[in-house]
Amino acid sequence: MTAASETGSLLEHLFRHQAGRMVAHLTRLLGPANIDLAEETVQEAMLRALQTWPYEGLPENAGAWLFRVAHNAAIDAVRRNRLLNDKSEAIVRELSLSASVPADNPDLEEQLRDDELRMIFMCCHPDISRESSVALSLKTVGGFSVREIARAFLAEDAAIAQRLVRAKSQIREQRLTLDMPRGGELKDRLASVLDVIYFMFNEGYTAHEGQDLIRRDLCSEALRLGCLVAASSIAIPSVHALVALMAFQVSRLAARVDEAGDLVPFEFQDHKLWDQHLIGLGFHHFDQSMAGDEISEYHVQAAIAATYARAPEWHAVDWPMILGLYDQFLAINPSPVVVLNRAVVVGKVQGPEEALAVIAPLENNSKLRSYYLLPAVRGHLLLELGRNNEAAACFSAALERPCSEPERRFLRRKLADCERATILGQIS
Amino acid sequence: MPQYMLLLHGDPAGWVKLSPEDMQKAIEKYMAWTKKPFTRDSKRLADEPGRVIRSQGGKPKATDGPYSETKEILAGYYTIEAASYDEAVKLALNHPQLEYGGTVEIRQVYGS
Repeated sequence: MTAASETGSLLEHLFRHQAGRMVAHLTRLLGPANIDLAEETVQEAMLRALQTWPYEGLPENAGAWLFRVAHNAAIDAVRRNRLLNDKSEAIVRELSLSASVPADNPDLEEQLRDDELRMIFMCCHPDISRESSVALSLKTVGGFSVREIARAFLAEDAAIAQRLVRAKSQIREQRLTLDMPRGGELKDRLASVLDVIYFMFNEGYTAHEGQDLIRRDLCSEALRLGCLVAASSIAIPSVHALVALMAFQVSRLAARVDEAGDLVPFEFQDHKLWDQHLIGLGFHHFDQSMAGDEISEYHVQAAIAATYARAPEWHAVDWPMILGLYDQFLAINPSPVVVLNRAVVVGKVQGPEEALAVIAPLENNSKLRSYYLLPAVRGHLLLELGRNNEAAACFSAALERPCSEPERRFLRRKLADCERATILGQIS
Repeated sequence: MPQYMLLLHGDPAGWVKLSPEDMQKAIEKYMAWTKKPFTRDSKRLADEPGRVIRSQGGKPKATDGPYSETKEILAGYYTIEAASYDEAVKLALNHPQLEYGGTVEIRQVYGS
């Protein structure tokens, strides 16, 4: 961070990341019941920076500056705050001690990572709903604002704010602690942490307008949290599998949307836009996920993503291998969505007729009633078979179901393809 | 070349609504301004509003005012060089202070 003061620019997301780790750290020192106080003092430190740096430039070590000012703000707040009465002096001592640790102390770095980890585990307590866990993790560990979380989830600010208030009062009322759970409880908690991270990731990954970077930030944050858990001593193979899965997916984000904000199907993506660093990260964690016998849902999905990542081009994708992996996926998670995804691969390996037969039983599945991908996949298969009118009807049906604007434009393009195919068929 | 002082007034409470990410962006925009070729100086003023001394009945007296209705304070100033007042105004139009809801008062500094 010393280099920052020389170039006059800050590290990307420094404030967001620093806010997250400082809130986690101060919450540990102040106690989880005072999580609001931790957030306020961190906010105060950032405001102080905002009032100072525009005139005086960057301090020598921007991150350490924020850290120190936040500690001092916390010490002032504890001295003012009568609620902490009997413990005040002890807390002030802890805060002063923590503030005096030099920024380059390697133990401090480790301590901060540990604080973040404990914070995520508390946010993902089974008594807190998954939606609230995600919002709370993003707010406290991720350094996202209420408005940013609301934008990422396409929700109202007030709804997110309320979710956070509820989660925090649960922390207070149930006296949740930052102690790591042990034994069987640790295993369960880890599973819910992964579930929350994966949910966060999927929310961001769902097709979105290319302009709105906040949802990409959501993917990056999920990946960062995954890496944090993977780097800890409690990581098990499925943690690495999830990180691998996310890294492979994020590596293709830039290629997935074109300059106009339209979706680019996998087969037309420019592989040069794939982020090789992230693919490398993906394979690194994929290898580590192979330790042990457990094969989780994340393992199978990571293996599918790895197979795509390995293919030098679309025509070289090993479809039979992917079909085999989908068979495993289906065995672990026999959900209609997995059946549908597997059908796309059946279409590649055995042909569109067989794929249509696979999805036929899904037509009356109530879970997929408003899922646009079911008619969209059907339309795609019918189009391949030259049944253009039926395909067009499917894409029209898909357009009547809820989906994002880029997805909508994609479906309209497919609809136009059907019409063009019909006209070409009449000419020849 | 003549120098002009850009007096930056603003309501610090306005910053509270910004997310950490947006705060960082704001700081980067201001700092970019301190590095402009025409910027000569930038100084922050203490955010606690100062006291005002005036003479009352021949004796100096310090008071806490006068403050206007708004919470706006003079947060600091930048000194820039420009060929003319109009030129200084034109440059100041791009100052981030305006983007963040504050005001910029432009005054020529004589003798510089």
